Amino acid sequence: MSAFAPLRALAAALALGLALPACATPAAPAAPAAPETSPELRFVTCPVYRNTDAGRKSGCWLADSPEDGLRYDVTRSPTKPDWNRAVLVEGRVSAGQADTCGGIVLEPVRVSVLAQACPRAMLPAQGYPGVRFQLPARNIRPIHEPREQPARPYAERTFGVWFDHGRDFIVYQLSDYFTHMASLYALDIDASRVEITGWSVTTPETVSGHVLVEDAMLARRRADAVANWLRMMGVPAERIVVKVAHDGSTSTLEGSDGLLSPSRRRVEVRVIP
Amino acid sequence: MHVPTTRRARLYVLAAAAAALAAAGLSASDLPDRWWKPGEGRVMQESTDYPNAAGSLRVLLVDGPMETRGHPFFEPLGTNGRACVTCHQPSDAMSLSLDSIRRQWDLRGHHDPLFAAFDGSNCPDLPQERRESHSLLLDHGLIRIARPWPPRDHDGSPIETDFEIEVVRDPTGCNLSDRWGLNAPEPMVSVYRRPRPVANFKYILAMGFAVDPKRSQPLPIDPETGQMTSGNLMADRRVLTLEAQARDAALTHLEFKGRLSEEDIARITDFEQRVYAAQQTSRIGGDLDAGGATGGPATLRDSPAGRLGSQGVPVWSEFNAWADAGKDASLTPGQRAWRESVARGAQNFRERMFLISDTTGINSPMGFGNPVLDRCAFCHNMSQMGMDVAPGQVDLGTTTRPFADPQPHLPLFRITCTGEPHPHYGRVIETHDPGFALTTGRCADVGKITLQSLRGLAARAPYFSNGSAKTLREVIEYYDRRYNIGYSEQEIQDLVHLMEAL
Repeated sequence: MSAFAPLRALAAALALGLALPACATPAAPAAPAAPETSPELRFVTCPVYRNTDAGRKSGCWLADSPEDGLRYDVTRSPTKPDWNRAVLVEGRVSAGQADTCGGIVLEPVRVSVLAQACPRAMLPAQGYPGVRFQLPARNIRPIHEPREQPARPYAERTFGVWFDHGRDFIVYQLSDYFTHMASLYALDIDASRVEITGWSVTTPETVSGHVLVEDAMLARRRADAVANWLRMMGVPAERIVVKVAHDGSTSTLEGSDGLLSPSRRRVEVRVIP
Repeated sequence: MHVPTTRRARLYVLAAAAAALAAAGLSASDLPDRWWKPGEGRVMQESTDYPNAAGSLRVLLVDGPMETRGHPFFEPLGTNGRACVTCHQPSDAMSLSLDSIRRQWDLRGHHDPLFAAFDGSNCPDLPQERRESHSLLLDHGLIRIARPWPPRDHDGSPIETDFEIEVVRDPTGCNLSDRWGLNAPEPMVSVYRRPRPVANFKYILAMGFAVDPKRSQPLPIDPETGQMTSGNLMADRRVLTLEAQARDAALTHLEFKGRLSEEDIARITDFEQRVYAAQQTSRIGGDLDAGGATGGPATLRDSPAGRLGSQGVPVWSEFNAWADAGKDASLTPGQRAWRESVARGAQNFRERMFLISDTTGINSPMGFGNPVLDRCAFCHNMSQMGMDVAPGQVDLGTTTRPFADPQPHLPLFRITCTGEPHPHYGRVIETHDPGFALTTGRCADVGKITLQSLRGLAARAPYFSNGSAKTLREVIEYYDRRYNIGYSEQEIQDLVHLMEAL
């Protein structure tokens, strides 16, 4: 890269009328870039941990695709692998991200930890620096921090809550953020009704030779987990309606990050003023 | 010996006390008046220092002094002669040290209320006059905690569990006892735990975030008030508020027949929330709030609670200034070296990376990965306290095989998960204490114990919920083995010095 490249980028941004952020911390969560042209990869494999050290949470997670034989870097998934278990990887190749782990970077990417056992595999750093941890933009803020109230007139809003395959655990620093946003919005606007719809994927799919199918009850458990969150936050139970659906269409709500297959495993929270 | 202090007189009093003890051929721990007897009616001062092997502990009472005569924390409310203060001694950072336990046995034997048959002995069935009947308390600092089986909800309803429990080994006899065990008319599981400090509750009750990420839901709601709670009370989180804890402790530890009055509960919880305890001086390094450092309990009293160190005041940055202690010509070489060691220990605590694996509450169920590279301050993340800002139920392995050290003196239970297997142990687990699972009834919670305050450690050995680490060095060595950290001798010493300074 030319030494003038950053200046050129700055000039280009100014020419486009883009405002520069006041500080490095984004004010609102931004979805990772999802190149339209990059196909959505989906495979099952045993993960490999690379023992890099660029500070906390900086180890690398690699996954070799049985389909194309390539090694991918899945470190940026909200859920990281468990080295004792197989993983379902769903993601797109990121454009222009440097290889700091020894694999093709997938971002956006989702990892689901499966029940199938795997042998532990750990590689040394081998000169790779790893991925320095940055607090994800989708993080729940401390209670003591002031919070902006929504502006009137209040609008109906729908929040997507995304799940790993086979699980009803609300994914940390992804789905918990949107669930919490939904609960705070419902409280802030004193919502008259909150409709919570859960989906699971109950039609078997074969991925890398593994048959993946979700329990029909999972849609209910996912919806109940989200409804319980809202109730515990103080949303009146009588205003919450829980519904269940199966094998629904894909979603492009915020947080899906353009990944279609994982978006079928979701809960939608419709908050009505 | 307890030493009321003012800032001006403190050093003189300590020095004079030490000289007097030395002249008498005694150590401070030999003196019975360190021990607060139930109902003795002392005045608790606004500030009191208690010498210990590492230096001295300071206990602050906000809005003190306070007359303790007639106060329900200090009076023997129940039938066994104990008061709350019996197991929450000011000299022991409001917990109970093994030294204090042994001293009371030497002085009064089983007649001291501390050794009450119900939970101050290995099992009430045993002949109480014998030392061996109290061996878990006398040798390991452990109080018997009897939990109902199956676990009960707040209204007393049984909780549906996803595991079965059986007794593999029962050295105390209590878990197979017809009256006290799993087959008794009211089935109980007896586990043995250290008393937790009754101090610094501003931090223990603080809610930093509205969410418990380990359970993927908002913070637990107190069923009585409908209010959110920190989820950081008690080793197994069996109660959520100080009020509920007072009632639970009165019924069990004090054998109080009936129900505490609302006035008594209010007085107990008011007192508990005004007490701060932390090490104040080091035998080697001097005052812990000197030379730019801000150790000691006053910082605890005056700081906002429940803040995440990684987003605010870094954990143990109270000792950052001592990184330059070597340049302070006013210090002795020993003081300089010790203070620099504490500063290195604090930095190590925040920055020394190691791989954490197979630990529920860390590697599962959240998505941090198994393993995850992090440091002590990953979980011990609360500024000034080193607790977990989120509810701190984590399975370090101290109570559960194969990670637990051999503990032949403790009962061993076999847990068989009837639903999903445990994420790391599988379907069958052997544990000395199921911990949080005795509250939730969930197999995934087996072995989880709530992280506790790291303050006043030098005053309250032994450590871990089951007393398995006799010294601070043994605490570090356990982590070193558990996570294959590879600490150097210098790192171990620095971390021990840091913990002595807390």
